[in-house]
Amino acid sequence: MLVIIMMMAVLSVYGAFNKVPEAKKIELGTDARVVLLDANGSEHEIGTIAKRNIATYRVIDTDGSKDYDAASVDRYDSTTRVIFQSRLKNKFFNSSNLFLILKDSSFFAIMAVGMTGVIILAGIDLSVGSIYGLSAIVGAMAISALPQDASIFIALPVGLAVCIAVGTMCGLANGSMSVGLRVHPFVITLGMMAALRGLTVVLPQEIYSTQSIGGFPTSFTSGFFKAKIAGVYPVPVIIMALVAAAGWFVLSRTVFGRRIFAIGGNETAAQYAGIPVGKVKILVYTITGALCGLSACIYLGYLGAAETNAGNAYELQVIAATVIGGASLMGGRGTAVGAVLGAIIIQLINNAMVIFSVDQSYNQIVMGAAIVIAVVIDQTKQRVQARRG
Amino acid sequence: MRSARTGRNGSVKDNPDHREPVLVARGISKAFGITQALSDVSVSFLPGEVHALMGENGAGKSTLGKVIAGLHKQDSGSVTLEGRELLPGSLDDAFAAGVRIVHQELAQCPNLSVAENLCLHDIPKKGFIVDFDEMRRRAEELVHQLDPSIDVTQPLGRLSPGRRQICQIAASLDKDAHGQNAARVIVFDEPTSSLSLTEASRLMEITRDLASQGLTIIYVSHRMSEIFTCCDRVSVLRDGQYVATNIVSEIDEPTLVEQMIGRRISTPGAKHTASSSDNGEGIEAEAIESLVGTSNSQEPHYDQPPRLILRDVCSPGKLNSISLKLYPGEILGVGGLVGAGRSELFDAIFGIDHRVTGSIVVDGDEICGKGTKAAIEAGVGLGYVPEDRRNQGLFFNLGIDENILAPIMPDICGLFGTRKLDDELARVQSRVDRFQIKTASLRETRPSELSGGNQQKLLIARWMSDRTKVLLLDEPTRGIDVGTKAEIYKLINEAADQGLAILLVSSEMPELLALSDRILVMGEGVIKGELRGSEMNQTNILTLATDESAVARAAH
Repeated sequence: MLVIIMMMAVLSVYGAFNKVPEAKKIELGTDARVVLLDANGSEHEIGTIAKRNIATYRVIDTDGSKDYDAASVDRYDSTTRVIFQSRLKNKFFNSSNLFLILKDSSFFAIMAVGMTGVIILAGIDLSVGSIYGLSAIVGAMAISALPQDASIFIALPVGLAVCIAVGTMCGLANGSMSVGLRVHPFVITLGMMAALRGLTVVLPQEIYSTQSIGGFPTSFTSGFFKAKIAGVYPVPVIIMALVAAAGWFVLSRTVFGRRIFAIGGNETAAQYAGIPVGKVKILVYTITGALCGLSACIYLGYLGAAETNAGNAYELQVIAATVIGGASLMGGRGTAVGAVLGAIIIQLINNAMVIFSVDQSYNQIVMGAAIVIAVVIDQTKQRVQARRG
Repeated sequence: MRSARTGRNGSVKDNPDHREPVLVARGISKAFGITQALSDVSVSFLPGEVHALMGENGAGKSTLGKVIAGLHKQDSGSVTLEGRELLPGSLDDAFAAGVRIVHQELAQCPNLSVAENLCLHDIPKKGFIVDFDEMRRRAEELVHQLDPSIDVTQPLGRLSPGRRQICQIAASLDKDAHGQNAARVIVFDEPTSSLSLTEASRLMEITRDLASQGLTIIYVSHRMSEIFTCCDRVSVLRDGQYVATNIVSEIDEPTLVEQMIGRRISTPGAKHTASSSDNGEGIEAEAIESLVGTSNSQEPHYDQPPRLILRDVCSPGKLNSISLKLYPGEILGVGGLVGAGRSELFDAIFGIDHRVTGSIVVDGDEICGKGTKAAIEAGVGLGYVPEDRRNQGLFFNLGIDENILAPIMPDICGLFGTRKLDDELARVQSRVDRFQIKTASLRETRPSELSGGNQQKLLIARWMSDRTKVLLLDEPTRGIDVGTKAEIYKLINEAADQGLAILLVSSEMPELLALSDRILVMGEGVIKGELRGSEMNQTNILTLATDESAVARAAH
């Protein structure tokens, strides 16, 4: 958390010195009248004064008048009755940029919540990116089969149900194979990662001969997942917040959650305490798969199409988010909220590279370093605490 | 001997007021592989008593405790609690019946809070949600009867070992899942082995407290002072056999030691005397001596400067102010019981333990804190044959050749680290011949294809080379047959004759006595005493090793 605040502070300060123009249109009502004022305050009609002499644009309507400083106004188009305004804004700290970061985080933050459970178990799931891709493709097939004007009450349940069902099945397969066959989840999910990715590519090729499936009902895209409210697209972010809250609750407040921690802390002790270790493990992998499906559904709604490479290499981002968020790969430690914050930190780093106008190619280097540093700091902190305690 | 030897029919004669025993173990036998850990042992336990199980390392006392608690399944025999026979090897059945064990291998989850650990088998809940208040209340009820200062919301891993132990005891006092059948009998398996002296004495208070509430405590320990402080009766086991049950107030320490080491008690003295034991019954000691033979005729070179000098060597929580001198040609034995810090001492000398302070000088070179590489390369070369050849010793994925050459490979290779295979093979061949390692091939054979004895010889061959002048041997003959033992004894003696300085740890008393020129006795991470010449006998070693006052002296 502290890291996020510090990064945001640095970026805000930098952004304040490196403002970017923001275009804004002000549409005038039919009864409004525009009067131009010069530096001395005397009024002029449109067309009777040179643009460089205009000091203020005054808009007068029935409710009174409002002044716009000429410095902030690009031009006034009298035929469409629009004032084109441009003003400088903080390059980092503005609502659209912040929401962009949150929105970009949300896709894999949701998966990271599930991954936290897996990692607390001292397991790992490498197949999340592929589950996400497959859920998206299968979901896209289902949704694109609906009519363009399908109601949100049909499109949304169909999309969610199909995506989450696919994800759940994949997660269930991961869990039951690693438990039932007694094979380390690294191997099982590595196999699943490759197999599911292949399936993701094959399916649209065989059925549609294409790499991308689009054409969803608008109620599914701009009607819900990409609904614009107050100038931003908040739905993915809201879902992320809900998932984080649910993850926190399940992990810290429910019997199921505490059993996950017990297994990760000492599997033998958990067995002796009568905890159904296998069942808990399978359930955790299944939930992770379901969350991948949910995340894929949001992606479909937000972008309005599914590509076969959706979620490629997401597993590393998701694991990185979880680990940056304080989960221990040795098991027994981790929080859902931490995982979401970890995802946000990763996006902040990405965003910072853009803000500082660094070449995108350097992203990977910085990201790699950040992951290692974050984990080293966290472990040092743990060790110091352990010694004090 | 005041206590009656009652054999397998329980201990009615030792039962002072003829109380009915609460738990009876009858005719218990248990083997691990070829080792017979227990053979036909019968002991009965009375309500409200603290009953110690005592014996040397490997006597079977811990195994008996685990069989009673259902952690091990006996091969034959039965455990009966108030007339009902417990299911063999069922921890659940034993738990439900009220037989519990406090045992380190059943350690809890260090990442969870004390309260969660205590309630793990039955987390209180409202619907799906954990009822943290109820959990806390239940945990406090259990823990605070033992130690009210423990905060049950803390993660267990943050507590000191003593408090963790208390939490484990608290957990064992819990009722079963149905809120019935509270604990009746609790087995404490070496409860003080990881505790400080104050923590241990607090634990003994708790033990007495629990017994006064009517619980039966089975106290597995080898610490003399604890037996005399907090136990009512003590049953002694030796080599998996039942020896006797005594009332503690009616027995003294020497008698107990005698029971522990048995009629085989023998005083072979220094190795050179090779005299048989006094009472004619020291068969094993005699056998060992005949195995060792008298080939070691040379005196250690006490006139030369010591090869290895330790001054004030400490490692937090493991070793405390160890000083010793090892001379060329000397075999210095290190005696003591499990957990005395002997292997830790070797780890410290060899640079494996990084937290060591003090001075370790090998032939003039200070190697303390410089790591293992420095230890191997120091002045005259240090070698270490560790206790656990499977995990610490051999590479089971590599051939015989690489196993032998591993420490010297960088020195015998060519340019850019390329291996000179012919040269290597010649070296390996000469070593294999000298140590008579029976192997099909030098390159293709893996250590797992060798017998235990040949594996051990392989490991010794790695370190007993011309460049090694100080050798640390930790249990060099563990788990190998008599014939190979004799070969290894011969190799050790020959090497000492040629001037090799050897530090030897062995839990086999006759072996330690027969091989060593001097013996240091360790306990609790300190050296408790040194024995020379005629002082070197089993009784003196055990007395020193279990002597708590020596610890007190060292602590000041």
